[in-house]
Amino acid sequence: MPPTTRLLALTAATALASFRVIAAEDQSFVKDLTATIVLQGLRCDKVVSAQRNGDSDYNATCADGNRYHVYVDRNGRVIAQKL
Amino acid sequence: MEPMRSRILGSTAPLAFSALILAGGGCVTHRAVAPHAESPPVPAPPVEPPKPSPAPIAAVSAVPAARTTKATRLPQQTPVPVALDLPTLEQRLRDTRAIGVFTKLTLKNEVDDLLARFRAFHRGQRPPTLAELRQSYELLLIKVVTVLQSGDAELATAISTSREAIWNVLSDPKKFAQI
Repeated sequence: MPPTTRLLALTAATALASFRVIAAEDQSFVKDLTATIVLQGLRCDKVVSAQRNGDSDYNATCADGNRYHVYVDRNGRVIAQKL
Repeated sequence: MEPMRSRILGSTAPLAFSALILAGGGCVTHRAVAPHAESPPVPAPPVEPPKPSPAPIAAVSAVPAARTTKATRLPQQTPVPVALDLPTLEQRLRDTRAIGVFTKLTLKNEVDDLLARFRAFHRGQRPPTLAELRQSYELLLIKVVTVLQSGDAELATAISTSREAIWNVLSDPKKFAQI
């Protein structure tokens, strides 16, 4: 494999690793994010995927197509912002 | 904190007290019987006769209560709801695995917000009125019970049962000051 291709593959793998696709075993996490969004009074049938941005910081996509930035701010408050 | 806890647990106190008496009564009976069997000539009748007498009374009064509880439990197949005090409730919410970290933190934020509004109310600030606080309190309780009921039905039931006890603490300025 040429070095350029290898580098591209490595970059793609790193990018994919940062994108967390929620699997069946992460149902509790799905429920957690869904409940968090709904408790904020926002619309979300069910979270189907989430991208981790950092500690306690996610971009969540709901089954109905709504996307939210869910994170904990400096004051310890959970914020869900529509993207 | 102790007075508040005892007030909240006021409704459960008789049950706990019965259980305590039952357990204590059993111990007293064993202790009272053993010395009699081993050392009959020891002159301690003035002290021992009063001890066995409370034990049978406690056993007689407690056993039917336990049977009645079992009898009512079996057909319904639901645990008898017990009102929780605030520290116990807080700890059980922390410990439960029925809800995730984000949800717990979200609920904690909402509880803190409501407590801040109660604090303002007890300082004399209007709004909020007591009716508004009650509405917010009910809404928050519904949220908590809703997120809990599928994963930890027992805790959800306990919280529902404790609704009035918690409200009594929050709405009373003296009790609230002790939180």
